[in-house]
Amino acid sequence: MSVIFWKILTAACLVWYAAVTVYVAGRGFGDIRRMLRNLAAKRKE
Amino acid sequence: MAAMGHLSALDGSIIGLYLLGTMAAGLMVRKYVGRVEDFLVAGREMNVYLGIASLAATEFGIVTCMYTAENGFKYGFAGATPGILNALAMFFVGLTGFCIKPLRQSGVVTLPELFERRFGAGVRRAAGVVIVLGGLLNMGMFLRTGGEFLVQVTGFSQAAAPAASGLLAWAQGHTMELTMTALLLMVAVYTILGGMLSVLVTDFLQFIVMGAGLLAVTVLILAKIGWGRLVATVETHYGAGGFNPFVHPQMGWPYVLFNALLNLAAVLTWMAVIQRVLAAKTARTGQKIYTRTSFFFVARFLIPGIWGIAALSVLGSGANSLQAMPRFLSTFVPAGMMGLVIAAMLAADMSTDSSYMLTWGSVIYNDILAPFRRKKISEKRGLLWNRSIIAAIGIFLLAYGLWYPLKGDLWTYLGVTGTIYLSSMSVLLVACCYWKRANGWGAAAAIACGATLPVLYLILEQVPATSLWIRAHIGPYYSGIATYLLAALAMIAGSLLKPGGRQGCPQEAGK
Repeated sequence: MSVIFWKILTAACLVWYAAVTVYVAGRGFGDIRRMLRNLAAKRKE
Repeated sequence: MAAMGHLSALDGSIIGLYLLGTMAAGLMVRKYVGRVEDFLVAGREMNVYLGIASLAATEFGIVTCMYTAENGFKYGFAGATPGILNALAMFFVGLTGFCIKPLRQSGVVTLPELFERRFGAGVRRAAGVVIVLGGLLNMGMFLRTGGEFLVQVTGFSQAAAPAASGLLAWAQGHTMELTMTALLLMVAVYTILGGMLSVLVTDFLQFIVMGAGLLAVTVLILAKIGWGRLVATVETHYGAGGFNPFVHPQMGWPYVLFNALLNLAAVLTWMAVIQRVLAAKTARTGQKIYTRTSFFFVARFLIPGIWGIAALSVLGSGANSLQAMPRFLSTFVPAGMMGLVIAAMLAADMSTDSSYMLTWGSVIYNDILAPFRRKKISEKRGLLWNRSIIAAIGIFLLAYGLWYPLKGDLWTYLGVTGTIYLSSMSVLLVACCYWKRANGWGAAAAIACGATLPVLYLILEQVPATSLWIRAHIGPYYSGIATYLLAALAMIAGSLLKPGGRQGCPQEAGK
């Protein structure tokens, strides 16, 4: 495994992590709202 | 007063705001908990993105950051090899649904519950005991390691405290213990009240804070120290072995193979990970969480690994390998940004602690105590039981991990407890899902063999007469590989020598 492999992997980690953090922050918030809504509906039943 | 070291008012405000936000979010969702299933698996209402955030936050604690940075310090870039193997294992399992698909489709709450359907109630209890024993003993070390990180990075210096008397002197001498006790209390309060729901919501916040902190520090290192200096440091200290684990004198193929087996087993059976699959809305959602989170496990090793290499570059190889990274951060990270780093690390630690408390608590309630509940109990009573168990785990963590620290080698200890659990549980899960002739005899033999070999290795390593021989001729990696192979052979031999018992796939067996 050469230096270039680790350089690409490091860059990929930083880009991937930054992108996923932003994306999951947005989509995950929607998931929480849906999860709580479904649980509230179940409790009413 | 203990020295406040490197914390400014801005740092303190960031940390305070983060803690306040976490507690508020964790407590807010407790009203949605009405049944035991809500408490343990969030009513199985978790979707993909929340699952990704929760899995990533759970599997990254301060202890993770410490040992992955130590790997970077000791082995260079090659120290990130376990992360690559972990990511490959998780991607493969997520893509194919290997084991996790039948596991989620079975509708169980824990792994031992699945095992009972194929192997009987005895195996369920034995598996529960092994899982809880391995898990709690592992977790027992988290609190102290987290505390030591915070002491190093914040500059809370107990030695620098001026002479005082009475309670104040005692408090000054136990700053780390008191800080970590307060942190554990906060985590315990929201986990006890909200269960998995609180864990998921706080994990989500913690994932964001953790991501911001990890990225900010890494970018700062690359900007200030530079990629070229990091590479030169690794070349100087480790040569080609710092980039390639196969040619590293302390790693080699046994290290790679052992880590491949360990990571595959962890992906399949580590309860804190598996609980995300069990809480997923469907088996397909569980698989997506795995494939989409898999690359995180490369970052989990490589990003702190780079911090460790930076510490090697600045402090030199004479520094203590475990404490080098926090020592380096304490002088490298500027005031103002330190608050974000500490908030990120607190986030990492709190998400791990809350998930693990809930995970091991669910196994104790569901599998170990189940035989003692002869009559079906009410949901209210079930919730009370679960909350009491989590409180008891919190007390155990304080007593065992913080106030009575273990002596000896932490990593040998973690390795042994992990292998005792993972070797046999992974074999049981694969056999349970895919081998129709597997039975309770094979399962019992696998649990016994999986526990015996690593404990035997540890004992022989401690006995003066055999210590040198076993380290030179066997070592931890060959011993670890042999444990996985022996557990698999024991399952095959036990099942074939004493055929019979329940057969068929686990999804059908319980219905």
